[in-house]
Amino acid sequence: MSDPIKIRATVRGSDGEVRVLLPHPMESGQRRDAGGQAVPAHFITSLTLSINGRPVIEGGLGTAVSANPLFGFQFAGVKAGDKVAVAWLDNKGQRGSAEAVFAAG
Amino acid sequence: MGSRRHFLQAFGSAGVLAGLVGSGLLRPGQALAVDFNRAAFDARSAADALRLIGATGAETSADILLKAPEIAENGAAVPIEVISNIPGTTRLSVLVDKNPFPLALQFNFAPPAVARFQAKLKMGESSRLRIVASAGGRHYTVFREVKVTAGGCG
Repeated sequence: MSDPIKIRATVRGSDGEVRVLLPHPMESGQRRDAGGQAVPAHFITSLTLSINGRPVIEGGLGTAVSANPLFGFQFAGVKAGDKVAVAWLDNKGQRGSAEAVFAAG
Repeated sequence: MGSRRHFLQAFGSAGVLAGLVGSGLLRPGQALAVDFNRAAFDARSAADALRLIGATGAETSADILLKAPEIAENGAAVPIEVISNIPGTTRLSVLVDKNPFPLALQFNFAPPAVARFQAKLKMGESSRLRIVASAGGRHYTVFREVKVTAGGCG
């Protein structure tokens, strides 16, 4: 959980691509540990991507998103230097955020 | 289940939203017009989830591309890519019919984001994978059967 979010934001022409890795266990609540105890659900429930401070993608997540979620997104009409910010919130109220800048790819 | 329900109530509270606004990540008046229906994520059948996201009766469309493996060797991380070529697509939803909670993921898009994404899903068993694209208040769908050789609902 303490691992930082990884963001790779590249732009070619005016087309941008953002790949985001969110370190998170994404426990489904379906699993049992070695002692047979149910492992409580612990998963990201919402995700926001902003470009230059304006939210442009908002996600609602369920337990079926893989551990350490990796997402790819595409943008039309961005340029090198534009800022992308990522923020998540999980079902325990924990949150994480990070920022990156589009670079020519 | 108890703690989950408690959370769902908390998520709808003004306090949580105020926290997001205060962080500067969500700014009043700038957020997309969304409020994800968390009850849909709690639905235990695809039919219920579709009803709760308002997509019952979505019409099949060849303008939604769904890339997914025919056979997934690892159900814990099934890679998918979804591209909607339906003009004005503002939301894409992903359902895994046979998962305990079929609704896996929803994304809302506003320019300059395009209605397209890549993600990895957990699939407990072989199942229909279903995409719903929402555009202009209408819903379109495409689905594909994905065979899972080792389940991943852990």
